[in-house]
Amino acid sequence: MIKRKTVRVILKHLFLALLVLIWLVPIIWLVVTSFSAYNGRNTSTFFPTEWSITQYVKLLTGADTVANFPAWFMNTLVVAIANCVVSSIFVLMVAYAFACMDFRGSKGLQNLSVIVNLFPGVLSMIAVYFVLKALGLTNSHLGLILVYSGGSGLGYLIAKGFFGTVPKALQEAAKLDGASEARCFFQVVLPMSRPIIVYTIINSFLVPWMDFVYAKMILNAGVSSQWTVAIGLYNMLDKSLINSYFGQFCAGGVLVSIPISILYIIMQKFYVEGVTGGAVKG
Amino acid sequence: MNKLKSGLGSVGQFFADFGHAVADGDIFVKLSLLWFGAGYLGRKQYIKSIIMTLYEAAIIVYTVLVGIPYISDFGTLGTVQQESVFNPVTMKNEFNDYDNSFTILLFSVITLIIWAFALYTWMYNVKNVYRLQKEAERGRHINNFREDLNDYINQKFYVTLLALPIVGVVLFIVVPLFVMIFVAFTNYDQNHMPPSALFDWVGIKNFVSLFGGGGLTDTFGYAFVRVLGWTLVWSFFATLTTYFGGILMSLLINGKTTRGKAVWRVLFMITIAVPQFVSLLLVRNFFADNGIMNTILANIGLTGFLQDIGVISNNYIPFLTAPGWAHVMIILINIWIGVPYQMLIANGVLMNIPSEQLESASIDGANSWQTFRNITMPYVFSVTGPALVTDFVKNINNFNVIYLLTSNFYTTTNQAMANSQAKETDLLVTWLFTLTQDYYNYKMAATIGIIIFIICALFTLIVFNRVVARTGQGDFAS
Repeated sequence: MIKRKTVRVILKHLFLALLVLIWLVPIIWLVVTSFSAYNGRNTSTFFPTEWSITQYVKLLTGADTVANFPAWFMNTLVVAIANCVVSSIFVLMVAYAFACMDFRGSKGLQNLSVIVNLFPGVLSMIAVYFVLKALGLTNSHLGLILVYSGGSGLGYLIAKGFFGTVPKALQEAAKLDGASEARCFFQVVLPMSRPIIVYTIINSFLVPWMDFVYAKMILNAGVSSQWTVAIGLYNMLDKSLINSYFGQFCAGGVLVSIPISILYIIMQKFYVEGVTGGAVKG
Repeated sequence: MNKLKSGLGSVGQFFADFGHAVADGDIFVKLSLLWFGAGYLGRKQYIKSIIMTLYEAAIIVYTVLVGIPYISDFGTLGTVQQESVFNPVTMKNEFNDYDNSFTILLFSVITLIIWAFALYTWMYNVKNVYRLQKEAERGRHINNFREDLNDYINQKFYVTLLALPIVGVVLFIVVPLFVMIFVAFTNYDQNHMPPSALFDWVGIKNFVSLFGGGGLTDTFGYAFVRVLGWTLVWSFFATLTTYFGGILMSLLINGKTTRGKAVWRVLFMITIAVPQFVSLLLVRNFFADNGIMNTILANIGLTGFLQDIGVISNNYIPFLTAPGWAHVMIILINIWIGVPYQMLIANGVLMNIPSEQLESASIDGANSWQTFRNITMPYVFSVTGPALVTDFVKNINNFNVIYLLTSNFYTTTNQAMANSQAKETDLLVTWLFTLTQDYYNYKMAATIGIIIFIICALFTLIVFNRVVARTGQGDFAS
């Protein structure tokens, strides 16, 4: 009996290992191809025939009209930081208003936000593009920041759920002691909401790194030094370029994935903490 | 339904209060129907009076200088075509004073929203002034300006919090949405591009064309049915496979006998932590016609075998380049992308299963399948059931997976699809994107956008009313 159980446990671990292998094959391919000496797509063997770090060297030092990774990285970083500041503030403000304050029209506004969210985001971006173009903000990072952060207030649901679990008694006690609503926000609710604040900040920081659509819409002039990482790498795989840039694409993919993955995994930890912590308290 | 009624009730109350204020207000209240600042002047709130007067002046100036000129062209969307005229004074070719249909549309929408807001503040202002009158009559203290400001970090703190985010949403989402909704009723496309050409209202012609009534040469109806069908099939499978896959994976990892839970979890998470434009673009090259997967399969002889029995006609497997193959592959690749994500969510839910229930089940001698069926699944379902709906809607709009896997990669051989710039693998939302980015066909893109909204809204309404309301989790916003 015990033996059968042991076999089952071993089988289960083998099965998990197999799943992990399937899940990681493309990632492994990404990493090994980035260390290939060959520029194009290696189609005959899984592992490169000749190992080298030349793709990284080219990517980081040899900026040309197609590949300009250092510039892309800086562009994305600037946009990400700006978006992070504006979006996080917006999200936390809206979440507090809806979760902790009782006012007329609160429900109505929240239902409206649900309706607005049902429209495909790309649709409104078409018109935003023309407005930005009229203002001369297309192909500028300011335009992209506005696009990312302008409507970010709509993403308040998760933070609102968390704020809702901060005990009302604490807020009321603070108010009885003469604290204003604003003080209650800054000194009672926010300090108790560390997981969800970290989650919100990382989440909005990651948006420009992960997004492809809006960047492609706004930065469409074809000046490669202005691009973000996403469109830059996408462009490398154009049919006419892929045979000379696939290695660099992989190197770029690895370089951008490492910081993003770390941030993402940290964010998930805080997300689970925030959401499950909320469930326990509520 | 009740929500709707109470919503209408509070709107009705607002109008009733307004009527009441107008009827019973004193001279200052009545005067503030015309002059926003009058009521505050009557209560000696001078600063507020000045602010409201300036606000009113700003609205009037905007209306006269911008609002009325644009709104008056709204019915025609402009009549003067752009022309280049030789100016004998400057000796240069100059443009005439032409109309720009898009600008007219845009500013008309902005003006309508400003007017709606002005109307609201006008009524609110009268009510507010009437309230001040009442308080003055009862001999209560009337706030001075500093106290009024102080309100905005106390009872009215929500106004302070919401003002900027709402302005952002209105400017970057609501106004553009209204503009695009209007565009669906115009002929704004490549042949009618402002500023060099005007576009005009065409009624519901675009919708007729999308539903197949556009005549013999119009293939939009043909493409629409197919794209819509695939969109629904895709959303259905993408949602269900990742949902159940995620739960199973989570159970597997979190089982009592599993060692190194955190390690497994992180290993699977790497897939979703890598940005999609990297992982998906990579995967599509992995499965390319002359890609590594095809080489491996050819080497082990599978390709030859499939060719012999007539499943494929070339010497490669068209994973992402032939209809059918591509559809299946897209759903499989989406499992790869989506399951770890759902696993994370399921992890959080499974951690919170009341442990007493699990214990009592094991005391009663339930085996693991029975526990899973009768305790775990019902619990997980009751918590994440509503999320299935939002996931389905998200998948209808899942741009990344489809676009990154197929754009510039999958070419349709179906002439009728190609005529309307669609592909067999397109979702409505990627079709919309291609129409605007590559073909400037804004009228059809906007029409498709409205259809997407209607589908999502109908689906959400039906499911939330039927399923979610019954299980008591029907609160839209929570």
